[in-house]
Amino acid sequence: MSFLADSLEHLVRGIVDNPDDVRVDLVSSRRGRTLEVHVHPDDLGKVIGRSGRTATSLRTVMNSVGGKGIRVDVIDTDR
Amino acid sequence: MSETAEVIGTEEEKAAAAEAGAGEENKSADTHADDTAISESESSAEDVLVREGDIAGDYLERLLDLLDYDGDIDLDVEAGRAIVSIDGGDDLEKLVGPRGTVLEALQELTRLAVQQETGSRSRLMLDVAGWRAGRREELRRIGRTAAENVAKSGEKEKLQPMSPFERKVVHDAVAEVDGVTSESEGEEPKRRVVVVPE
Repeated sequence: MSFLADSLEHLVRGIVDNPDDVRVDLVSSRRGRTLEVHVHPDDLGKVIGRSGRTATSLRTVMNSVGGKGIRVDVIDTDR
Repeated sequence: MSETAEVIGTEEEKAAAAEAGAGEENKSADTHADDTAISESESSAEDVLVREGDIAGDYLERLLDLLDYDGDIDLDVEAGRAIVSIDGGDDLEKLVGPRGTVLEALQELTRLAVQQETGSRSRLMLDVAGWRAGRREELRRIGRTAAENVAKSGEKEKLQPMSPFERKVVHDAVAEVDGVTSESEGEEPKRRVVVVPE
């Protein structure tokens, strides 16, 4: 299943200023599978996009290739 | 009097013609300079679009590799925008999605990836498995049929919500039928074309 994390990592790396800081973890829990996207704090805005549009696009693509119910969370590394 | 006037007129005309001539000379010099500038900017605009296609192609090729999907990527420049088409195996349906929603999302991400490299906004068009081509034909039919119905009945007709790309194709199809016109109403993503009698 790591192809999902790798694919998402690739999609995100292409649209940020700090591609080397991008990491995607696939986390499984009782609530299902989640792809956790970690990016440089300066790139958060780019990954989320205006009105969350970019994050929505990432979710749309990952849900389609990874099956319904896979979540995509953008993690603020500052937290 | 009239003769004098004529003479004056002629003089004026001559002067005007001379000015115009001089102007024209200047103009033609300008035009020449412009032509050079235009052809240079045109070729550089073309170069920019070719580069957009290359960046998009690399981005999508790597994605196909990671997903292990079969697909050939074709790059083109058409009507002032880069066109990237992916054709291949059945897996590609997943990159189109219901009513092309995944295709729109992937196009959006690809445009962002291009913008990240070039520093300027991209209008590139992505097509997967010929979906846009097929959908375009279907939308043309929808637009033409609605326009013909409205022309006959004289009553307006609302169509299903569509993406901006889809609405554009429908508007163009409606415009080819006499006696009707079309507009868009509502907010995205529920914005729809309304065909109205003229």
